[in-house]
Amino acid sequence: MSALPGGLAASGSTVSALPASAECRSLLADGSVLTVSATRRPRAGRADVKCTVPGDARLAERMQEVVRLARHTEQRFDSRDQVVIGIDRVPAAHERDWELAAVLADRMVRGLWTPRGQVAANGWSDAWHLGRVDGHALDVPAEVVSAAGMPVTLLGGPGGLAHLGQLSGHPDPGAAVSVARAWFPLHAGGSGDSLCWVEVGVYPVQSAADALDEEQAIAVPGQDAARQLAVRQALSGARHFDGRSGAARWRTTVRFGQPQFQGRSFELALVLADRIARGREFVPRGRLIASGQSDAWHTGRVDTVEGLAPKCALLLREAAPGDRILLPHAWQDALPDGFDAGLRALGASLACVERIGII
Amino acid sequence: MLGLFKRATPVADACELGNSAVALPVRSGCTVPPSYPVVIVDARGSTRRAGAAAAKRMELRDGEAAYAFHPGPYTVDLLPFAGAPEIGLRTRFTIDAAEPHAAHQRFDLYLASEVAGRLGLDAFTAVMEGALQRELQDGGLDLPPCTSIEEWNAFRLGLNELLYMRCGVTVDDCVPVDLAGSRDYAAMLAARALRGDSEAPLLAPVAVPAAPACGVVEPAIADARALRRLFLELPCLMCGLRLAALPATPDQFRQQQALLQRLDLLSVGANAMPALGLAAPGQALGAAEQGRRAHHSRRATVSLDEAWALLARLKSATPASLAPLYDEAERIVANLEADCEGRRRTHAARGESEAA
Repeated sequence: MSALPGGLAASGSTVSALPASAECRSLLADGSVLTVSATRRPRAGRADVKCTVPGDARLAERMQEVVRLARHTEQRFDSRDQVVIGIDRVPAAHERDWELAAVLADRMVRGLWTPRGQVAANGWSDAWHLGRVDGHALDVPAEVVSAAGMPVTLLGGPGGLAHLGQLSGHPDPGAAVSVARAWFPLHAGGSGDSLCWVEVGVYPVQSAADALDEEQAIAVPGQDAARQLAVRQALSGARHFDGRSGAARWRTTVRFGQPQFQGRSFELALVLADRIARGREFVPRGRLIASGQSDAWHTGRVDTVEGLAPKCALLLREAAPGDRILLPHAWQDALPDGFDAGLRALGASLACVERIGII
Repeated sequence: MLGLFKRATPVADACELGNSAVALPVRSGCTVPPSYPVVIVDARGSTRRAGAAAAKRMELRDGEAAYAFHPGPYTVDLLPFAGAPEIGLRTRFTIDAAEPHAAHQRFDLYLASEVAGRLGLDAFTAVMEGALQRELQDGGLDLPPCTSIEEWNAFRLGLNELLYMRCGVTVDDCVPVDLAGSRDYAAMLAARALRGDSEAPLLAPVAVPAAPACGVVEPAIADARALRRLFLELPCLMCGLRLAALPATPDQFRQQQALLQRLDLLSVGANAMPALGLAAPGQALGAAEQGRRAHHSRRATVSLDEAWALLARLKSATPASLAPLYDEAERIVANLEADCEGRRRTHAARGESEAA
């Protein structure tokens, strides 16, 4: 019937934003690199996921199971596509680090996660249906990463990628520890510019003995004393702004994606990650990317920071669908032409904020 | 026993109406005060409102059910994000009097297709909250951190449409509130740690839309309710799609016609769905296969929820933004087709996951 081609053409125009194929690498115990590749095609009555492993039907079965379980954490379901996942070499029977690579390739090919550049991932899980990543057996050494030119390296498990939602900074909905991430632009003069994440993990205070001073219960491992002090002051100021005085409720751990950097423009990202972790902020669909500092977090005010032009250029390169970008209000009039529209075309949204908090 | 003490029983717990209950079933012979509108659902599921006579005495025919509801206003706290329990939206809504222009009232359809017995305010809130959370997660509505006033206004418009299309309520007022006074996230996390059962996540994302509507575990009952929803709501969805999604180009017109045709076939198929427990006349079906069938019918109701949310988005769409919404409609219809097909089959398709 004539309606069918029209329907296909119209849906094709929107679907064309999705990649036709995706690849994710993983390191094997013998040092070789395995590639998981995923492609999408019309389903036409076939299974939703098809896995092909040369000469190993059981591994293909296990891979299909892993991918299907990981899809349980997704809400949106599309019966129109079939994802075909292939693997270019067969790992040994006991090796399971390819699981994370398969799950990520499946997400990438359906546009649920759009990394920059090539990705290497090692991780396994016994609870894929909850989105957890339990651990990894092998480290991916830095020389392999640089030799293969893979800017994104993910290691499953605590300390790395512990939960699939963490890819966009969201806390694990089932865990007793609430961990949220936000990103901030690092300006290092041209090609060194990158996004760095800050992660805030909050644990409820269990006993009265712990509940002495919330500010002292903020740990920033791996950072010098000045940075620790800055983090503590920003967090306690911003928590004071909540207007909830009284007993301390949280023990807090703050980690940064890079150990070394200068400046205070991470503060806004830190404060918002803390608010998301404590369940007091609207949750963005993608990542939260923020740049801003303040001398008065207890009033919720956001002050301006430096590096407008390079940071805006970086944000236009890095923004992905669903991302929320927050900049100081003072930047509003100085933003480059077409910046807002450019971000919107990428599916991200921008706000120049004067203060934190709801509306 | 001998019928000596039979008399007209009043509406059960009538004082609840307007406080903790939105609608209560009314038995034949009851008298309902004139301030409470009454919806009568007949055996085929079509609805009508009882006449606005003073103090109605209900006379129901065979197979009919009647509900008296309180128009409100009700004030509830909706949680827009399951992961942010200390921030809520204080929403005041009413259930409007019958719109004379509309062929069917959305709230009446909701009562007919999804409610069995009493409709409590908490259950109704859970349905609205589920629809809101789902739409925020899918990107139909946007409520990002540090929402600007324009973004808030756009969200409010979308929320009004969503709750009207999904539940038939009119939102009067909606403001963000700090719920820290009543909900302590730290205590919730500590309880989660104590419970220690990481196997059961507190906020299962998949279960959110379906759970409140049918808090039943019995697959047969859940399946029957799901089929009832398909039977009653598919024609109304088709009607809504015809009206709301006015095509902007000839291609979209053809696309809309194709969608309507597929929905028509689905609707016919839903009316002729085989019984859950029978593989063939007189031949029983195994429990595992019954569970698979019930799973498909449950997932079809999730698609129905998505379709109502899509209609809400279509209402405020501009011609330029129609294309992705048509794509979304194709996805929903394709999912419905896949699930109805799965519900009809007597054995799992090749390569289909059993655990799902």
